[in-house]
Amino acid sequence: MSKRLYVTPYRCIDCKVCEQACSLANTPVPGVPARPRVQSFKVDDQNNFVLLCLQCDEPSCQAVCPVGALERNPETGAIEVNDKCIGCGFCVRACPFGCMDYDDTHNEYIKCDVCKGDPACAKYCPTGALVWSDKPWTDQEAEEYAKKKSSDPFTIALEMTKK
Amino acid sequence: MSEAKTNETVHLTIDGREVDAPKGAMILDVARGMGIDVPSLCAHPGLEPFGACRLCVVEIQKPGWDDWYKQLVTSCLYPVEEGLKVWTDSDEVRQNRSVVLDLQMARVPESDYIRELGRQYGVEKTSYAERDTKDTCIMCTICVRACEAIGRSAIATLSRGPDKYVDVPNKDACIGCLVCASLCPTDAIPFTANDNGKRRIWDKEFDLVTDERTGEVLGTPEYLAHVQKRAEGNGLVWPETLKQESAKVKRYEYARKLSRVADVEDRLADEAK
Ligand code: SF4
Ligand code: SF4
Ligand code: SF4
Ligand code: FES
Repeated sequence: MSKRLYVTPYRCIDCKVCEQACSLANTPVPGVPARPRVQSFKVDDQNNFVLLCLQCDEPSCQAVCPVGALERNPETGAIEVNDKCIGCGFCVRACPFGCMDYDDTHNEYIKCDVCKGDPACAKYCPTGALVWSDKPWTDQEAEEYAKKKSSDPFTIALEMTKK
Repeated sequence: MSEAKTNETVHLTIDGREVDAPKGAMILDVARGMGIDVPSLCAHPGLEPFGACRLCVVEIQKPGWDDWYKQLVTSCLYPVEEGLKVWTDSDEVRQNRSVVLDLQMARVPESDYIRELGRQYGVEKTSYAERDTKDTCIMCTICVRACEAIGRSAIATLSRGPDKYVDVPNKDACIGCLVCASLCPTDAIPFTANDNGKRRIWDKEFDLVTDERTGEVLGTPEYLAHVQKRAEGNGLVWPETLKQESAKVKRYEYARKLSRVADVEDRLADEAK
């Protein structure tokens, strides 16, 4: 587990690119977007935030699951929902950060699994608020990166569909 | 559900394909892991196997057996063995599945799900006398085992033989989580998830708790109390865990706590007191 998903909320510009990317990457049925496992939002006039599962050392979600449906993937370090899930929703109640969720379109309990080691959100985040790397970026590194990237969601959406 | 925790593997052949599987794993799970479609009614990966429906039958042959000799086993309950040969879709297997479905079609003539499965195995109409009932329960006991897993054990199988049925003898035990109804393969458990703020299942009516800010339904009070007890019993360290808020509100609250300006605001509010 050399790489991690580094989250730096104050770099978030609430462009919702991460949500789009996550939806597309996790869509089980083509054309029916999944609920994103990441959320960006405005906390107040001056602050944005981006939040996804913290992959806790002692996950509350895992502790309450009655069937062992939440397991850590040793390769990515992320907690994943497996096919043992019986849909009781205990995990959603237990996660202190609201990072376990229910996707009512696809009738699935969902959480961030860092896309099994290739997180879509970080790939498209234009500001370095989300970074998949072996070390966090300095503000300077993030600024350099942001200069080269378009932060226009439409341009990024085109980029996503091109692959 | 109960995989062996050892790293020991056994080597076997399923439908002519060789595979290494962890010792103790069931044939059904191993076959499905290889992408082979074995039908089942009573198996669920999260619940203890029970072997009630017999739809998952496969043919096996152990090393040393005569070439012509095979045996039928329920694959959800049969652990893999070294040198085993397995056939998941032979004529014998299909014939057995069609008998299973023929009988089920007589038991639950109103079930579209069973009728469709029967069709796939060549049974258009049951050759037995149809029960005169709207009930579609096939006695797979998934509901019984699921309710047990979540720690309520509210559902029991009552009576014996062909008259067996499932019910909730002690209504107090049911917390109205709807897990049983949502897992039932033949939708045999009637319920109303939310009818003007009330939920109904197993002839019991529940209130519903909603998130104050988003209006999202969080569950019945009994359900929330059960999760809270479970969380406390597991020694969860985060008190926020027990807050009865929707995931969305929890995310927002967490962000607010970490965001500097909000902190200052809170401090100012504290000082003003
Ligand atoms: S879902 Fe919540 S409790 Fe579980 S690992 Fe992620 S942040 Fe922790
Ligand atoms: S909803 Fe699924 S993953 Fe969540 S606690 Fe229940 S069984 Fe486990
Ligand atoms: S709704 Fe009641 S009977 Fe069904 S699983 Fe939940 S507690 Fe058990
Ligand atoms: S799935 Fe094996 S007997 Fe029902």
